[in-house]
Parts: sequence; structure tokens; C-alpha cells
Amino acid sequence: MALIDIKDLHVSVQGKDILKGISLSIEAGEVHAIMGPNGTGKSTLSNIIAGRDGYDIKSGSVTYDGQDLLAMEPDVRARAGVFLAFQYPVEIPGVSTSAFLKSAINTKRRAEGKPEIDAMEFLKLVKAKNKALGIPDDMIKRPLNVGFSGGEKKRAEVLQMTLLEPRFAVLDETDSGLDIDALKVVSDGVNALRGATRAFLVITHYQRLLNYIVPDHVHVMAGGRIVKSGGKDLAHELEAEGYAKYLAAA
Amino acid sequence: MAASTQTAAAVREVEAYKYGFVTDIESDRAPKGLSEDIVRFISAKKNEPAWMLEWRLKAYRTWLTLADDEPAWAKLHYPKIDYQESYYYAAPKQKPKLNSLDEVDPQLLETYKKLGIPLQEQQILSGVAVDAVFDSVSVATTYKKKLQEMGVIFCPISEAVQTHPELVQKYLGSVVPVADNFFATLNSAVFTDGSFVYIPKGLRCPMELSTYFRINEKNTGQFERTLIIADEGSYVSYLEGCTAPQRDENQLHAAVVELIALDDAEIKYSTVQNWYPGDKDGKGGIYNFVTKRGACRGKNSKIMWTQVETGSAITWKYPSCILQGDNSVGEFYSVAITNNHQQADTGTKMIHLGKNTRSKIISKGISAGKSSNTYRGLVRIQGKADGARNYTQCDSLLIGHTCGAHTVPYIENRNPTAQTEHEATTSKISEDQLFYCLQRGMNTEEAVSLIVNGFCKEVLQTLPMEFAVEAQKLVAISLEGSVG
Amino acid sequence: MVATGLLDHPFKEGYAARLGALPGAAHAWIDGLRQTARGILNASGLPGPKNEAWKFTPLGELSKIPFIPAATADDIDVREVPRGVPSIPGAQRVVLVNGVVNTALSDPLDALPGLRIESFKQLLVREPQTLKPFLGGIASSGALPLAALNAAYMADGLVIMTAKNFAGATLHIVSIGAAGAEPLAFHPRNIIALETGARLTVVETHIGLPGQSYLANPVTEISLADNASLRRYVSVAEDADAFHFATTSVALAAHSSFETFHLGLGGAKVRQEVRAALNGAGADCCMNGVYALTAKQHHDLTTVVEHHVPHGTSSQLVKGVVDGQSHGVFQGRIHVARDAQKTDARQLHKALFLSKGPEVDCKPELEIFADDVQCAHGAATGELDREHLFYLMARGLDRDTARALLVAGFLDEAVATISDENVRAVFSDMVNGWLKRRGV
Repeated sequence: MALIDIKDLHVSVQGKDILKGISLSIEAGEVHAIMGPNGTGKSTLSNIIAGRDGYDIKSGSVTYDGQDLLAMEPDVRARAGVFLAFQYPVEIPGVSTSAFLKSAINTKRRAEGKPEIDAMEFLKLVKAKNKALGIPDDMIKRPLNVGFSGGEKKRAEVLQMTLLEPRFAVLDETDSGLDIDALKVVSDGVNALRGATRAFLVITHYQRLLNYIVPDHVHVMAGGRIVKSGGKDLAHELEAEGYAKYLAAA
Repeated sequence: MAASTQTAAAVREVEAYKYGFVTDIESDRAPKGLSEDIVRFISAKKNEPAWMLEWRLKAYRTWLTLADDEPAWAKLHYPKIDYQESYYYAAPKQKPKLNSLDEVDPQLLETYKKLGIPLQEQQILSGVAVDAVFDSVSVATTYKKKLQEMGVIFCPISEAVQTHPELVQKYLGSVVPVADNFFATLNSAVFTDGSFVYIPKGLRCPMELSTYFRINEKNTGQFERTLIIADEGSYVSYLEGCTAPQRDENQLHAAVVELIALDDAEIKYSTVQNWYPGDKDGKGGIYNFVTKRGACRGKNSKIMWTQVETGSAITWKYPSCILQGDNSVGEFYSVAITNNHQQADTGTKMIHLGKNTRSKIISKGISAGKSSNTYRGLVRIQGKADGARNYTQCDSLLIGHTCGAHTVPYIENRNPTAQTEHEATTSKISEDQLFYCLQRGMNTEEAVSLIVNGFCKEVLQTLPMEFAVEAQKLVAISLEGSVG
Repeated sequence: MVATGLLDHPFKEGYAARLGALPGAAHAWIDGLRQTARGILNASGLPGPKNEAWKFTPLGELSKIPFIPAATADDIDVREVPRGVPSIPGAQRVVLVNGVVNTALSDPLDALPGLRIESFKQLLVREPQTLKPFLGGIASSGALPLAALNAAYMADGLVIMTAKNFAGATLHIVSIGAAGAEPLAFHPRNIIALETGARLTVVETHIGLPGQSYLANPVTEISLADNASLRRYVSVAEDADAFHFATTSVALAAHSSFETFHLGLGGAKVRQEVRAALNGAGADCCMNGVYALTAKQHHDLTTVVEHHVPHGTSSQLVKGVVDGQSHGVFQGRIHVARDAQKTDARQLHKALFLSKGPEVDCKPELEIFADDVQCAHGAATGELDREHLFYLMARGLDRDTARALLVAGFLDEAVATISDENVRAVFSDMVNGWLKRRGV
């Protein structure tokens, strides 16, 4: 059984059709990539998976680990192991990154019937992860995402992912705004999490990221549909040829 | 100089009628002062039906009770107005006809040139007799006919009282009630003329109303009254005023404008106000006390006010929106420029009553010389306005250190699901910007004009195209002599 | 001479007569201050909705309550400090009951050399000339009706004065409102004067004992000499039926600094009005605050910052949460005079609705007469940001936890500006305690 199974998903926003029949099935252990030009519904798909409201789901289904994902609240999904690395992580003044991280880790631990993490253990854990991701330790003392540079925000998203150890992670344009060094660090963080029980959906505009996070399957999205699927070579093909022919087809 | 001699002459002339006017209905002017008789006189002059006279009298009687309620909260200073020293009715005077532009005051011509006003319009504006071939009056007549065929009513309000009394009776005073405020009540008693517009259901009025008429407008006097009704699903864009400098013998102006947008209707009302601001020492200039208000009565309706205020010695003006219909939208875009001794206290009111109503306020104030420029605005969200939104941005620019720029917003929210957001800044033109322009070869005045126009861009671009171009030039002219 | 007529309004008949002779009445200038104030009150009465400065907080309902002077109530006996009063580490405590210094509950007043703490009443009688440079000169009765009311009846309060370059101390002033069988009113007059280069931290806890209604109407005049630095942290948690109208006026000399934080947690009707005049170049004023309201509480925070000279800086951050049927008001005026070039003045007010029912009114105001300045204000009202809520929930936090974290964070942004660590911790606890009690 696929870990996540999207069937003929139709979604509109304020009367405008955005997703026009998306079907996608991802097994545990797989990494899928969705590529496509801007405005084709890639971010809509990631928001639907994470449970953001404001979308009108007209038909279709999303099943996660055998459960109806669309019926679950966003926090229930997260505790069940669904993670979205946001394209634009929001800045939340006043809420410290460390208080937030601790709260998120403990909520998950409680859900799993584990004891809460103590302050020392938490600091040790975060410091270790920070080091791997090249994040300065004082970043967690700052308010959540406030004043972070584009690159810092993306690193912080990956930090959260490694701390929360999701079963299914969606990376929405995580490469945008990253320089080559940061891109490598972030990719290493993702690759370290790859394993037989986890699945990833990597959404990107450029092939570049996929040199570092090598996908098992690549899908081209245009006009609210998946117009072509293939292996990792499809990404190189797109890089060479561009999206024009798919746009015309859509 | 000429104007004041003329005024003096007119005053003498009118004084002569002082004692015999009541019986002399044929007279062109009412004597000085305000009384029930004067109100009756105005009504009789316009041959109004009894209901209209009653309405005026009610307003007049209310006004008498408001004697102590002349608004004093605005940041405006002017000598107390003696309302018995004003004239409330005078038939429009024929401007003396000139034979060519050569006879026009060269300073005025220079201003026209700077504004980019076409030659024919210059001639009409300055009262030069125009060759029939180029007479835009005929152009206007053509368009008027076309509008009539589409069911648009566009005429002087005095005419509408006669021809469409049911519409006037239904809507007049329905947005700005007779007892609304001191100046509006005064206007209700003595208004002389103004525009009436009715756009029928479903019609998107294909032309900017008054674009083609603005230079032919009759002198509507100091107590203008405008009523615009956009029936269900209709759209109209209305333009008022003129970028060319306007002089008027009457110092006191108190206009009222009422807009009504029914379901799915949209009204766009643009104003360029360039009344005589007084001289460099603050002598003379128009006192402009205006009540403008629109009711978004229907669901999904929209009213958008744009104003470019550069004239008048005193401006007291708050074009407002009452957002009654669910999902209705109110917008206010304003540029107010004060120079020399001008004083402006202007802004808007957005009253959110219906669900999911939205409002947006963009105000740009520029103060120079010894002037005072105040933004005053109210955003009120009533308890039933679930999901209402307001965004307000007020920016002030000071040019020189002898002027004042003030921002006085009132935000009242009674609904937790509503969101209001207000931001305001005050600053001067940055040295860096100025230096950059100078380094590229502009002189200071050009640089200031460029920077100020950039500062106002968000507002100016909401104006209809040809108006926007003139307004940009007007911004520059209004600030002449304020720098260096 | 005691004036009658309107002056008794809104108090019980004969209010002034019951007070008898007020301290310092023998001195013409003090009597003059009182007479002027009475004249102003008699002429205009208490502010109503037509008074622009009081339009959101009209005081009409006060006329229905027959307040008696607190000093004449003989059934008040406060023997201990109420439990809700926090302990401020290292602070010297001074306790006032209904505006009168209670030496039994206070630490010794003369404990610190260089710091003079006295009862206003005693000083007024003993050496009024010490007060003359400050009294009525910083908070003028003219434009401030409640300051006029205070001036008319001021009988006691606290005077705090430092020596030059006083190196710093923390004072904790606990002001207890205690009503007996009848509703009562008190009008304490406080003076805080810091000499050149002196530093001081003052924490004020205004708290009420449950019982009848009372009206606390303190006026505090603060004078900061060159390079002086005052931190003043005020919390108001009055009894549910109590009225509290506090006027604070601060005069800042060159390079002095004033940091203040106002925490408003209730009372029936509360107004905290803080006015700062930056009279010396390079002065700095920071006025922050939090209000958290529930039930039918009405809270008004009004600030006026006047920049009179160049190179002044001021900043304000005020956050409010409203619940129940409460009414939050924020008014903030920044005035920059013609000569106050290079002023940098900023202000931000944000209010968060926790439920359907409350009202928030806000009037920020910029009044700018100098061109080379940077001035800005912002104001926002609304619910929690849905994007924020979604982000937290997408990380697994349930709705209530996410909400609590966001509301606490919203307020903490303001509390975190308190530069004194001990006070920050105490105020943070008070805010979080309030949120917990409300189940946020």
C-alpha cells in the first residue's frame, strides 16, 4: 500500500480551478519530485496535503497510511507524520524559536506515548542538528523566523524536519533563495533522513536541487495536471528543453 | 485686481436691491444674508415643487438650531464666518468675451501651458470666443444624446427635480441627511445647482461622465449639490473639477455630494480641486467645506473616491463610504498638497456595517510653505460586519520647516473577525534622492516634482488617464517656489 | 475657602467640606493651585463624550456614585499587603493605602543615602518650597480635567527625590485601594525628581481589595535632570468595581531617559495617561505597555509625547488582548515642534480579540511641525493571524496550544522590552497568569 495516495484531485480557489485531476501515489522509501512552471498549482498541492483552509476541494481523495488525510485537522496530520517545509515560512514575532520547537517536539512525543523532552536533552539535540545544518545556536533564541534571511528560513525549516522526523515530507521550493553551499547543506539534511520508512515529495522549479536530492520519480505539472512522469532523467530533459511544450499541451 | 473691483461693483449692485427683493421675484440676485425668505426666493427662482421647498425649509430651520455646532475639531484656523454677510443667490454671470488668447493674462496662459491643456480648451477656459467648428459644445451634445439613448440621466439637479422628481425625492438626503452637519445642512437649505446622474440597471457607462463636459459646465455656484445613483449592476466613472486654476468671487463654498450604489454597482468618483488658494501671504482664497458621502447600499457594490486637492485656502472634506451591503468595497485615494498659507483637514470615513466589507485608504499629504495639512480619518467596524477588512496607509511629506503635517486616524472595531491595519509615516524628501536627481542634471524644482509625483503615484494612477497626466503637472505647479 | 456647587459633583454632597483644611493651605501658591483647579472643574465639569481627549472614555457614570473622601472613612484597616502583590527582588517597598503612606507595611523610608522618600503631605506642610519647582508645573490642571480634580483635593502621596549621580536603586510602591462601607475617592499627588546623572527604578503595583467601589485618581509629576535615567513599571489590577484614572507627566532634560511600561489588567474603568515632554536635546523616551481585559472592563491608555528640541527619540509599543464585553482604548499623540529637528519617533499599537463582544478604539496621532524627522505610527486590530495558527498546527500543535503560544508571544513582544530583568520576569508572570486564568 502506498504511503500517500492522491486520486483525481480537483481543487478550486475562489471559483477558479487550480488542480484539475491530480493523481499521485508515493510508496514509503521513495522520493518524488514535482517540477513545473510558476502558477501551475504546485504550492496548492502542498497546501492541500498540509491542510491549509481556503481551498475548495471539489472531488478526489488523498489517503495517507490508509486514512482519509483530507478529513484530518492540520495538527493531526502533522502528528501523524506529515511535514510541509513551507515555501514562505511565516514570521511570528514574540514567539521564540526554541519555545516553539520544544512545544512541537513534545506534542509529537505525547502523541507517540513518549515522555516529554527535558530542557538539557532538547538543547543537546538542537545543537547537534544545528551543527549539521550550519545554523548558529543563537538562532533558536530569536523570535520564530523573524528577521531570518531567506536562506536561514529554509535551513530552519529543514531543522524542524530533522527534529520532528516525519514519515512523509513535502519540500515546497525549499531551494529558492539558497546559494550553492546552503543548497548542499540542506540537501544533506534531507538525504540523511532518507530511509525505507520515509517518503518525500520535492516541489521545485529548477533541476538544480535534484542533483543533490536525487529523486526516484519525476513528474511535470502544468495547468493543474501532471502532464508527464518519468525517472530522474526527466529532470535533465526539462532543464535542457524548458516547460514550453508542456504549457502548450496543458 | 480686476476681480476685486468687479466684486465691489457687484456688491454695490446687489445692495441696491436690499429692500425690495421679496416682491421682486424677477431679480437676478438675492440680497445679502440668510433667512426663510431667501430660501423661498431660491426655490421660487428654480420653480421648484412644494416638496422641494419644504425640504429646504426644514434644512434651514435645522441649521438655525446648529448655530453652536459649526465644526471646531478640525485643525483649521480662520476668522469666524458671518453667514449674514454672504450672498446665497446670484444668477451666473456671463464672462466677458475676449477675441483671442492674446487678451488673456499671460500668467494664466503659462499655467495652462504647464498643465498641458489643449489650445481649444485654453480658449474656452479663458473665455475666448471659439470658432464653431472647434466648439466642443457640439461634441458634448453628441455624447449627451448617446447617453440618453442608453437610459442614462445626466443633467443639472435643478432639472432633475422637474423631470425625475421620484428619483430625487427618493434619494436626496438619503446619504447625507438634512441634519448631518452644519455645512451640509446649510447646503441643503440653499443649494443652487449641481449634477444629477442615474445609471440604469446593468449598464456600464461607456464614458467618463463630465470628461467631455467639464470645460462647459455652467457656474454652479458656491453651494453645489450632486446626486449620483448607480442602479443594480451598473458602473459609472464621474469626474469633477478641473486642473486649471479656478477663481470664484464667493469665498465660502459648501458642496454636498451623495452617491448611491445598489447591488453589484460601482461608482468611481474623481476630483481635482484647484480653487483659488489665496496669495503668498494668505490673503483671499476659497473656504471649501465639503460633505461627500457614498452609500454602498447593495451587496457587492463598490465606491471609490479619488481626490487631488491642491487649491482653496481652507479645505474641510472627508469623502466617506457607508458599507451597508455584504461584500461591498470602499476605497479612498487622496493627494492633498498645501503651500503658502493653505490649510487642509481632509480624509475619509469608512463605516463597515455589512459582512465581508472591505475598505482601503491611501492618503498622501504634502505640506510646504507655511501651510498646515491634516489627514483625519475614521474606520468603524460595527458588530455585524463579520470578516470586514480595512487597510490604511497615510504618508506625509514636509517641504521646509515652517509647515505642519498631521495624521489623526480614529479606528473603532467592534467585531473580532474584522481586521484593521493602519500605518502612517512622516518624513521629508530624502537628501539622497534629491542628490541623485541633481547629479543626473535636473534642477531642484524638477527633482522635487519627480520625487513628489513618485510619492503620490499610487493615488494618481487611479485617475482616468488624461486627467492623471494633468494632475501630475498640477502637483509640480502647486509646489512651485516651495524649494530653494 | 471651599468652593461648592459643581465641584461636589460627582461626589457625595459636602465632599469638600468633609475634607476640612487641606495640607499647605496656609501657603498662597498652594492654595492658588487648588483654587485654579476648582475654577477649571467648576467651569467644565468632568469630561464627557464631547471632550475630544475623553471621547472613548467619558466619565458620566461617575456622577451616580456618592464617593466620600478616603481620609474620612474610619472603617479602613489594612494590616497586610494583599496576596496578589508580587515580590520584586532587591526592591525597597513602600506601601500606600488609599493614597496615604502606611509606614507599618513599608520598609524604612530613609534606608538609602542619596534617596529621599517622604510623604507628600508632610513635605507640603514642613518644607513646601522643596516642591515648588515641580508641583503643578509638570502636570498642569489646564488641559487635564483629572489632574485638576487631583489638584483640587490633593492631600497626600509620595515624594521621591535623588541626589546628583545617585547610582540607582529599585523602589516598589504598592498602592492599595480599600473601600469601606461607602464608596470613596482619593487623589494622591506623587513627585519623582531625579537630579543630574541619577538613576532609579520604580515599580508600582496598584491593587484593590474587594468591596465597595473606589476612585483612585493619582497624579505623578516626574522631573528628570540632565543625564538622569528613570525606569518606571506600573501595573494596575484594581478591584472589579474600582475606577482608576492615573495621570503621569514627565519633563525630560538633556540626554535624560525615561523608560516606562504600563500593564493594565483591570478595574471597572481605568485610564492611564502618560505625557512626556522632551525639553532637552538628546532625551529618550520609551513608553510600552500591555493591556489584557475581560468582562465589562474598560481600559484606556493615552500617551502624549512632545518633542520640543532636536535629536530626541521616542518609541512606543502597546499590545492589548480583549475578551468578554471589554472595551480597550489606545490614544497616542506624537507632537514634534518646529525646532525639534532630527527627531525619531515611533509608535505601534496592536490589539487582539479573544472573543466576540469586546470593542477596541484607537486613535494614534502625529502632529509634526519639523521637516527633518522620522515619525511613524501603526495600529492594527483583529484576530490571531490565521497563517500563524496554520504554521503552528502544521508542526503538530493542537489548536488550543497553538493559540496559547501565539497569544502569549503576541503580548511577550511588548513585555520583553522591559530592560530590568527582575521586573520583566514578574510582569511576564502576571501576564501569563492572566492568560491561564482566562483559559487562553
